[in-house]
Amino acid sequence: MKLIQESSKTKIVNNVIVAILAIYGISQKNFNLDEPTLFTQVVTEVLSPVQEGLANSKKSVSSLWENYLLIVNTSKENSVLKKQISRLESDLTNMDEVRKENLRLKQLLSFSDGLSPQRVLAQVVGWDSANEFKVIRLNKGTNHGIKVMSPVITDQGLVGYVYRATPNYSDVLTILDQNNRVDVVVERTRTHGIVEGVMNFKCSLKYVMRNEPVEVGDKLITAGVGGIYPKGVKVGMITDIRKENFGMTLSIEVVPSVDFDKLEEVLVLLPVEEPATTASVSVQPTVEAKP
Amino acid sequence: MKPRFSQMIISFAITLALLVGFEIITATILPALGWKEYRLTFNVLIILFLAIRLESPFVPWMILGLQIVHSIFSVEGYALGTLAGIIVMISANYLKELLHLTTAFMTMLIVQFFQVIWFVTVSVVICLKVSDFSKFGMIVWSFIPGSILLSIFAPLLFWLLGNIWRVSSDSGHRGVEI
Repeated sequence: MKLIQESSKTKIVNNVIVAILAIYGISQKNFNLDEPTLFTQVVTEVLSPVQEGLANSKKSVSSLWENYLLIVNTSKENSVLKKQISRLESDLTNMDEVRKENLRLKQLLSFSDGLSPQRVLAQVVGWDSANEFKVIRLNKGTNHGIKVMSPVITDQGLVGYVYRATPNYSDVLTILDQNNRVDVVVERTRTHGIVEGVMNFKCSLKYVMRNEPVEVGDKLITAGVGGIYPKGVKVGMITDIRKENFGMTLSIEVVPSVDFDKLEEVLVLLPVEEPATTASVSVQPTVEAKP
Repeated sequence: MKPRFSQMIISFAITLALLVGFEIITATILPALGWKEYRLTFNVLIILFLAIRLESPFVPWMILGLQIVHSIFSVEGYALGTLAGIIVMISANYLKELLHLTTAFMTMLIVQFFQVIWFVTVSVVICLKVSDFSKFGMIVWSFIPGSILLSIFAPLLFWLLGNIWRVSSDSGHRGVEI
């Protein structure tokens, strides 16, 4: 009886301690920015290569599957020939993938020409494992120059910003996330509003007054205020406008211009380095001149 | 039967490894196959097993450990799930006379019930944190499709975890005391 009481007391004490730790953690949590702990950094660096390998193996697996289907249908008479054909087709598929990837990367690089001279090309290796957060993991981190709050784009438009970064990986809070708010303007009318993530890979445009002449089909671009996103990046298109019986603002549905279903590579725009101070500029050549 | 402390450590280590495997499936493999909209939150299912089936004073610390590992794969962090897990565990303690995980169907129902408690807790805390309750319904709704699938998986995963923790199905409604 005494043992049971002691066990029960221990359980209550443990519950209280862990609950206090959890409440403290919640109070310290920031859903807009995160500084990873040393533990998080180490474990992320250890586990993310597995994620990266699995994400990369997707193409090989689909190519293998296609080859398997081809080989199953070959007759015995021309099996050697068919295998050669399947091998060639596999090569062609791979070449086609490389060509498409090359095209995508070229588009990405040419698209960002006018935005920032410093940019990092990164591959998406994973998504957040929780339902309520729309975050993607990239295979580049602080070792590649990525900093938190760096904007992330594709040739289609805005993806989000870097939420947290470890030496070789970084997490991006996408515009689909409810905690990410993007200051935008309607391209045609120059009306300001805030885009927030909602469900089903869609966003909503908030704080647009009822008398604003916005229409379905209007395109949204970043306003360039707030200090995170550069001005003029495509964000999405208005697909539905509802005037409620109450309130001063419109209820507007937005479809992002980026196809998040097919998101594979992104560009991280790095902040332009401030010009070095006079002292450091003058010291640099002296150091290099020494043998 | 009271498993030794060393046995509990081994079982917990295997459970952590299992969680890492499931997290990689959820965060990488399923999205690579096109499943991007809803997540299968296996951490919730594993914590529900510990909360419902194990009678141990160390369960809160195990929940904390599992959530810390989960936070590697999610910006959710460790705190939200830990608080939800403890609330679920306390609820399970109060309802222990009513919990009969004897059939697969009952396991699914009970797991779905506790998942709802979990998601409502998490949603309330998120809304409090961002000071915006207008999204409460949206957040809760985003959990529902994944939670139904998880409930369907629950009997299989509970059987697997039962073997890892050596909790046999006929060892009582709430499992064995560790």
